[in-house]
Amino acid sequence: MTTLTDTPEIVGRGNREGADLFRDWFTDLNETAKSGNTAAYVFVMGSINEILKTFDFPVTFPEINSLQTAVRRVAHEYLEEAEDYGYSPDICGYVKADVGTQLRGGEHPMAQIPKPGLTVLTNACNTYIKWAEIWERMYGTPMFTIDIPGTRQEGLITLPGEHDFEGDRTYVETQLKELITLCEEVSGTKFDIDKFREVLGYANTMSASWERILDLNAARPSLFNALTDGTIYLGVANGLRGTREGAEYFERLVEEMEYKAANGIGQAIEERYRLVFVGVPCYPIFRRFNELFTDWGGTFVNSTYLWFASGGTNRGFQYDLDNPLTSLAEGILINVRDAMDSMFHQNRAIADMAENFDIDGIIYHPIKSCRTVSTGLADGRKHMTEQFGIPSLFIESDMMDRRVVSEAQMKNRIDAFFEGLASRERQALAGQKG
Amino acid sequence: MITLAYAAGVDVGSTQTKAVIINEGGEIVGRALLDTGANVIQAAENAYIVARDEAGIDEREVEYVVGTGYGRYRVTFGNTQVTEISCHGRGAVHLFPNTRTVVDMGGQDTKAISVAANGEITDFCMNDKCAAGTGRFLGAAAAALDIPLDDLGPVSLTSTKPIKISTTCTVFAESEVLAWIGKGKKIEDILWGVHTSIAARSAGLMRRVGIEDEITFTGGVTRNKGMVKALEERLEKPLNISEDCHFMGALGAALFALDEVKTGRTPVKTGAGVKS
Amino acid sequence: MTPTTMTPAATTLAATRVFPEWRDKPLDDALGECRDMVESAEFETVQRWRDQGGKVAGHFQVYFPEEIIHATGMLPFKVRGAPLEPTRSDSHFGSYLCSILKTSLELALTNTVEMEMFVSHPICDAARNLAAIWGRNTDYPAQILYLPQNPNSAGSVDYLTHEYDRVKRLAEEVSGVTITDDDLRASIVVFNENRRLLRELYDIKRTTPWLVAAEDAYALVALAGMIPREEHNELLATLLPQIKERSLKKEDRIRVVFEGGFCEQPPFDLIRMLGRTCYVVDDDLLIGLRYITEDVPIEGDPLRQLAESYIDRSSYSPVQHDLRKPKEDMLKARIAGAQADAAILAAAKMCEPGLEEQVTYTHTLDEDEFAYFVSEFEETMSSFDQLELQLETFAENLLFA
Repeated sequence: MTTLTDTPEIVGRGNREGADLFRDWFTDLNETAKSGNTAAYVFVMGSINEILKTFDFPVTFPEINSLQTAVRRVAHEYLEEAEDYGYSPDICGYVKADVGTQLRGGEHPMAQIPKPGLTVLTNACNTYIKWAEIWERMYGTPMFTIDIPGTRQEGLITLPGEHDFEGDRTYVETQLKELITLCEEVSGTKFDIDKFREVLGYANTMSASWERILDLNAARPSLFNALTDGTIYLGVANGLRGTREGAEYFERLVEEMEYKAANGIGQAIEERYRLVFVGVPCYPIFRRFNELFTDWGGTFVNSTYLWFASGGTNRGFQYDLDNPLTSLAEGILINVRDAMDSMFHQNRAIADMAENFDIDGIIYHPIKSCRTVSTGLADGRKHMTEQFGIPSLFIESDMMDRRVVSEAQMKNRIDAFFEGLASRERQALAGQKG
Repeated sequence: MITLAYAAGVDVGSTQTKAVIINEGGEIVGRALLDTGANVIQAAENAYIVARDEAGIDEREVEYVVGTGYGRYRVTFGNTQVTEISCHGRGAVHLFPNTRTVVDMGGQDTKAISVAANGEITDFCMNDKCAAGTGRFLGAAAAALDIPLDDLGPVSLTSTKPIKISTTCTVFAESEVLAWIGKGKKIEDILWGVHTSIAARSAGLMRRVGIEDEITFTGGVTRNKGMVKALEERLEKPLNISEDCHFMGALGAALFALDEVKTGRTPVKTGAGVKS
Repeated sequence: MTPTTMTPAATTLAATRVFPEWRDKPLDDALGECRDMVESAEFETVQRWRDQGGKVAGHFQVYFPEEIIHATGMLPFKVRGAPLEPTRSDSHFGSYLCSILKTSLELALTNTVEMEMFVSHPICDAARNLAAIWGRNTDYPAQILYLPQNPNSAGSVDYLTHEYDRVKRLAEEVSGVTITDDDLRASIVVFNENRRLLRELYDIKRTTPWLVAAEDAYALVALAGMIPREEHNELLATLLPQIKERSLKKEDRIRVVFEGGFCEQPPFDLIRMLGRTCYVVDDDLLIGLRYITEDVPIEGDPLRQLAESYIDRSSYSPVQHDLRKPKEDMLKARIAGAQADAAILAAAKMCEPGLEEQVTYTHTLDEDEFAYFVSEFEETMSSFDQLELQLETFAENLLFA
């Protein structure tokens, strides 16, 4: 057993360095804002950072800015401001926290957020579109929506070379070229194909590492908490995608995880139950939410959030640097489609994982704010239970809005869930003995 | 002389606190039912005392106490706590061994619980975001009609022309009930409408965990005959029901306590005396 | 009976009629039959179609290129929710969702409406989940049609043509009928006629709203989604001239545009109540059935013509993004075109796009100092006393200002 005093520096390095990079990113954004410059506003499911970083745009993710107001426990102030402005309590809390931020001139607990100079979004979430329309109206910001057609029917996955896949790819590639033209107009600089290849190379390293890190967590005990630690990694995966810092960070993170796996170093608690998390974290009580599980020895070994909120880069897709634009179109199409599948058709993936990761239970956390992620979870769970019989827990709350997060109710259910797991374990033991 | 072992369960609900004492055979030997009121700790203690008095046993004879219900952590003399979800499932299977679905209707919420033959909870679901389909919804209707809570069921059963209540919001239930009175509808017809509306909501909840034979109805609202009938009609199935269904949470807690007695585990907390 | 060969089957079904009730009746009675059929949660017309051997393709709100389905001889059925309690489907959804998703799935789970295929569009974050849910609970294809949200891209027409071709292949497979370009053109002709008649109905609403009650106009439109289009054309071609010849007097009512009916439908009684209080001179109720605003050309590649019409000659809604069509400008144009005195800005409960657009609409109309009334509704609501009181007060204020 490893104790605190003899823990080598490498253990926990990813959390420390991730937090540092995250802070640096916001410091840079702060400087951008203070000097009166703008940033590109992008989203986690298809940020197209590969193109934006080629133009050296400062990039901000309004989703991440918003969730940080919840983590820092000031979200309600922002939500109320947006609701006073006219946004219904039933609208996505991310949108409202951002509207609050804009109404305050970019004032945010982590930094001054620059105004949008360009918005790039995909159709992976309709709220992205409604959201970008707000900046378009507030500031006249140019917005570019990239259509990325998803899976048309569960299980019908088209592949490169197939007629229908190529139809989609052509469309995505056409749009990417149009985006490049728009970026040239906004930035006043020409597109640099060599720089683009360099950015794609970094993105390749990050994707491959991310896939590897997630796979390594199948170790017993698991190496990192997919809910808490995973969110730190995710911040870097999104914010620094396509950068040298991002690529180096992920290479070092792989190194850390391989070290932990080789030495049997798990999470800080003794792992009794291995859990998968489905949905978006409960940011208003982020740490506490996790403790409600770890108190019972429950650890999160994987999460669909790490799949879709990384824009599907968990697949490890590698761009072909000899054919960069066509390959980017293919990669974005495959990644974002996969991100959508992990929200709408996640049962097969979870079932596979249940086997590879030796899962004891699935925690479904649908939230009021995000209908994209949450609408199908009750039905998905119903079928999951019927087909695979893995114990699961369904708790509804929110990722932003404290008013719909009841810790007492949550605890009651989580306790009952673990009581059930414990009783199942006892019955199984009794069965073996009998 | 053979010393008998006893175990106790104390269920601190939002409206009422229940306590049950059982003997080694799992038979109930003492019960208590009190309003929870503002002082939750005191309510738990009082219920425990009343149940012991009814059983005619001394505090020292109770070997293990399990607290349950929303106030379970306020059962200061309890040895441990178990959620009411596990307790209702456990109690229901104990009283009615073929139970596979439990519907627990209490003051603040309704729970649907599916249980395996061994009492293990396989799934559960609650209406927590609003009070529609709970005892509180009935309370709002009773208040609007100005009739005692206990009369709700019997009056509703005399309905001849049921009204359909469309609101699912407890806050609006009162105004909708008043609106129907304003339109000259009979109280019993409105009340039956309230009951069928709650039954529909509860059935929806039960469908989430899957409805399987047999169904046991637990919680405070089980005393309401109108609700029993409305649920049975909605589900097109008879419900398991008995006087002790009201005490199901406490009974389940007592059964968990008895497990501990039998496995001979040392209580987590010992000698937690009750001040009276 | 399964149509196996193309022409005879399609011809037979094109002659199928499923809604005889309105025929040979005085106008008021005929309209009463239309209202009853639309108000029913049983969708009898679809069953009658099936009883005659027809197949059905369900398509969810908002827009769908029904011509493709029509050409295969199947009935395109508009899935638009229903005025019923979602008893079965409720347990398939979490909280915080609009009603139309649940009541639509209810129709499928209870076999109230049987179909051979279902298509939905990712119009909103909730609805983008519907195809997956539908597919897990039924044994026929449940697919997504990705209509472009970037119609401003030079690639959007090519893409949409390809996507329509994919839908065509699915429809052919499901119906067992292979279709030609000429089949598609024949269907486009039927739908062009239908669009022309619907435009005529809306002209009546705009110019002489006292001749057609709001609920009657609504019923006439809604029938398009549940009976064969040829039959709907006959209905409109018969009743519209009679409506124009009515000798009804103009009353002193405010003229309003109703906005917010693009997806979930307000209950029939709410539309009736609106009609008692105001003249609803234009609206976005079931806008998908009226989405294409001009005739679709029948020359050239019919799928491409359908795609171009969607991209370039179409209406607007909160769930379609197009840089050329800022929604607030489109609303203002609708208001001006109908010479309305006020707007009713409604949104279905829990409908995010509707609620989001309400903010822009109210801010824009505030700037213009134009009167509006904001409200939320749910298709299953049954009590309108409070709403009517508020709306009457609003109307009085305008009338006596």
